[in-house]
Amino acid sequence: MQFARPLAELIAQLEKLPGVGPKSAQRLAFHILRMADDDVRRLSESLLVAKRSLRLCDVCQNISEGERCEICSDPRRTDDVICVVGEARDITAMERLNEFRGKYHVLHGLLNPIDGIGPEQLKVRELIQRLANGVSEVIVATNPTVEGDTTAFYLAKLIKPLEIKVTRLAHGMPVGGELDYADTATLLSALEYRREI
Amino acid sequence: MIWLESLGVEGYRNLATMRLEFSPSINIFSGKNAQGKTSLLESIYLLSSSQVLRGSRDGEAIQDGSESAQVRGEVAPTGTELGVDLGHGKRKRALINTSGLPRASDLIGRLPSVVFWSGDLTLATGDPAARRLMLDTELSQIFPAYLKAFSAYKRALQQRNALLKMAQERFVSDEVFESWEVQMVAAGEQMRHIRASWLETLRPFAVETHAAMGRAETLSLEYVTKEPGDLAIQFAMERRREIARGATLFGPHRDDLELTIDGRSVRLFGSQGQQRTAVISLKIAVMHAAQATLGFPPLLLLDDIFSDLDQERRKALVEVAMGAGGQVFITCTESEQAGDSLIGAAKVFRVQSGQVEEE
Ligand SMILES: [Zn+2]
Repeated sequence: MQFARPLAELIAQLEKLPGVGPKSAQRLAFHILRMADDDVRRLSESLLVAKRSLRLCDVCQNISEGERCEICSDPRRTDDVICVVGEARDITAMERLNEFRGKYHVLHGLLNPIDGIGPEQLKVRELIQRLANGVSEVIVATNPTVEGDTTAFYLAKLIKPLEIKVTRLAHGMPVGGELDYADTATLLSALEYRREI
Repeated sequence: MIWLESLGVEGYRNLATMRLEFSPSINIFSGKNAQGKTSLLESIYLLSSSQVLRGSRDGEAIQDGSESAQVRGEVAPTGTELGVDLGHGKRKRALINTSGLPRASDLIGRLPSVVFWSGDLTLATGDPAARRLMLDTELSQIFPAYLKAFSAYKRALQQRNALLKMAQERFVSDEVFESWEVQMVAAGEQMRHIRASWLETLRPFAVETHAAMGRAETLSLEYVTKEPGDLAIQFAMERRREIARGATLFGPHRDDLELTIDGRSVRLFGSQGQQRTAVISLKIAVMHAAQATLGFPPLLLLDDIFSDLDQERRKALVEVAMGAGGQVFITCTESEQAGDSLIGAAKVFRVQSGQVEEE
């Protein structure tokens, strides 16, 4: 089917998004056409504002509005314990527990030579720099995949000589599953039974 | 006992959209070549192993002009529905009771099968990769721990090989290498352990079957590691050489299974007749050992095997197929090939131009 050019362009842009195939791109495009003008404006503005005003937190590398993210600026949270995650979205999963009172560090990926990713492509150096300031424990909460396990092992190799305890989320995680999708009960027990590596 | 009650296919190879109901004992797909009988057998294997047969690509199983292929099967007595969806340029998707599984391989083990096709007749003499594939496929279905170790090993091996190539161009620290190797050593040692103990289970069955086929010689199976040693040490010592080659030179992906008769390698010294008998004994032993380990008989999938066998070997195979008490699927060009004893007990499906008619 031939679409009017602006519509075809909209569909083409939507199709570039992850998880959006040709069919859902069309569905989304037609939905947008039916939306009120105000809602469309708000959507397009929020896209631009989000893109322009967000950056990485200087401390933990989480996506942040300012130099320091909300979590790093929270005086009630301890600097003693750092929870290392692969992606920023994994923080949301941990935060749902309302249990962890330390801070985070986002690696922005996992070791993955097939995709050309070594430690230099991850925020590893930034993590090591943070450890000079009296950190007593690092919890590695990377996904329980081969890449996640390898990254955890690598971090432990780097951190242990600094005489800092390194633990890893363990029990209950579905094998090959992703932290992002784990249900709360599973994740809670994983946190409770974390083990030293 | 676990068996496949019904099968539904859509957009699969040259097969028409259809739904078939099977016998819990013997089912025969009969028809001329290239009519679709092997595709039917393959679709059953797909539900069992999440793989298409003989190393063809998933996409090749999608019908020309179709966007996707779907296979569904109902497993008795649980009533569980297993499914696999294939699509061009998409990841293969496995389903249980219509809900998608995280990975296609999560399907493995729910409908265990042993497959035997004419290409297996060269198993004793052919490429070691074929013998490893047989071990990996069977063990993944029987032992969940093997599937887990095998999947992890395969992934870590791909990653380490990519790392070795990366190290040809830029510095890679020992710590990074060791982090990958530690995963490979753990998974690889477990694979070797399960493979070796599986051969222990298999050996008496192979000896017995071989003897039952009237052979005075003793058939045996050996697990062969060409360069034995501690994997972790081998990786550490030989890393320079592996970087130069851009490939991992040690580990279970290089091991082999050797068949011997009276202590002599079948591959090197066996006559053609000895090689065939050894392979058939091995396959039958796998069926028996799988049944003994699982506690129920696996599905037996025999593809075009009878036309390549003489009377005596055909008889031995038919007896096993009948005797195991499990569900059997057989493809053959003439249903008579399968032998009278089978036909009487079997449900026969005639396959022509992708259409299936029950006899
Ligand atoms: Zn922060």
